[in-house]
Amino acid sequence: MAAPRQRLLYLQARTPSVMSNIIGLTLIEPVAGFAPEIRAESAPDWPYETVHDAVVDGWQIVQFPHLQAPFDDRELDVIGYEFILQKMEVIADE
Amino acid sequence: MSEHLLSDAEVARFLVTDYHIIEPELPAGLNESIAAQLDALDYNPGDAITEAVPELWQVLDHPAVTGALVSLLGPGYEVQSHRHWHCKQPNSPHMNWHQDGLNNRDVLLNRFLGLYYPTDVTPDMGPTIIVPGTQFRNAPTDRMATYTNIRGQVPLVVKAGTVAFTHYDLWHGTAANRSPHKRHMIKFLFRRTQDNTAPTWNHDPEAANKPADWNERDQAEDVTNILNFTNPLGVSQSDHYKERAIRRQNWNYLMGLSA
Repeated sequence: MAAPRQRLLYLQARTPSVMSNIIGLTLIEPVAGFAPEIRAESAPDWPYETVHDAVVDGWQIVQFPHLQAPFDDRELDVIGYEFILQKMEVIADE
Repeated sequence: MSEHLLSDAEVARFLVTDYHIIEPELPAGLNESIAAQLDALDYNPGDAITEAVPELWQVLDHPAVTGALVSLLGPGYEVQSHRHWHCKQPNSPHMNWHQDGLNNRDVLLNRFLGLYYPTDVTPDMGPTIIVPGTQFRNAPTDRMATYTNIRGQVPLVVKAGTVAFTHYDLWHGTAANRSPHKRHMIKFLFRRTQDNTAPTWNHDPEAANKPADWNERDQAEDVTNILNFTNPLGVSQSDHYKERAIRRQNWNYLMGLSA
């Protein structure tokens, strides 16, 4: 039987809470030649609204966003708080 | 000129989203002529694109274009010497999110881009995609590499002749071009040369000083409520409050008040 491979899901959530809404989503499939793509749409059709939705669907969080509050509370930097999740699955190559 | 100046609400909206789209009524055949010349170009002339295609000046000189520029940068605005022809070739992949240049964003409105599209741009032609409200973020381009689609992103699927003004620091990328057509865009850069001492758009003091409307919020279409309530990406309360402060700083600057 083939070994499981790591599927990755980057979710940028509104806050560090897993219950907050997702602003950004990137799915990385462990398949040769795979590349995520920015699409010409404003409201992407995503399978999850929150990080919690993804956890319920079997994704495991492998990196939580840093929770330390920014020292300077006037500056803006990246959008949202990034969670990285994985699913280990056997992938059938085409 | 005044009929082409922006309203208070349009200026406020620009400070919030940092893009403004116009469709100037250009002379018949101008877009087609420019597109044909670009299609035939076999090299990229860089800043000399306006020498290769001099008709581009007719776009920059259109009253709707100059009206928007005067409104946002004042009557002494400068068309900078840097400009660039972006030709998105058929069967070319998407381009990741980035800011042009280094991560040194300016909280005041002193320069921005004008993107002119001489042909219709359909979703399959690799449109420019922008992320409204990201212009104030101190985010190096490398740090954007784990973002793909962002809820609230705006693909510039536009009609021939459209000019999109976008803040220089706005996050942007492109979709893939899967069409058989070249997707042309000419990028111009504009800069303020003097601080405002008064508004340079169609300003109505009464309309610009309405109280907060907790029912209509950002739909109230007046300066106070647009600046206070608009949250195009649905970011957190902390970020939203920071955005509000920078927007108000910008507004006061454009009004000629102490920024």
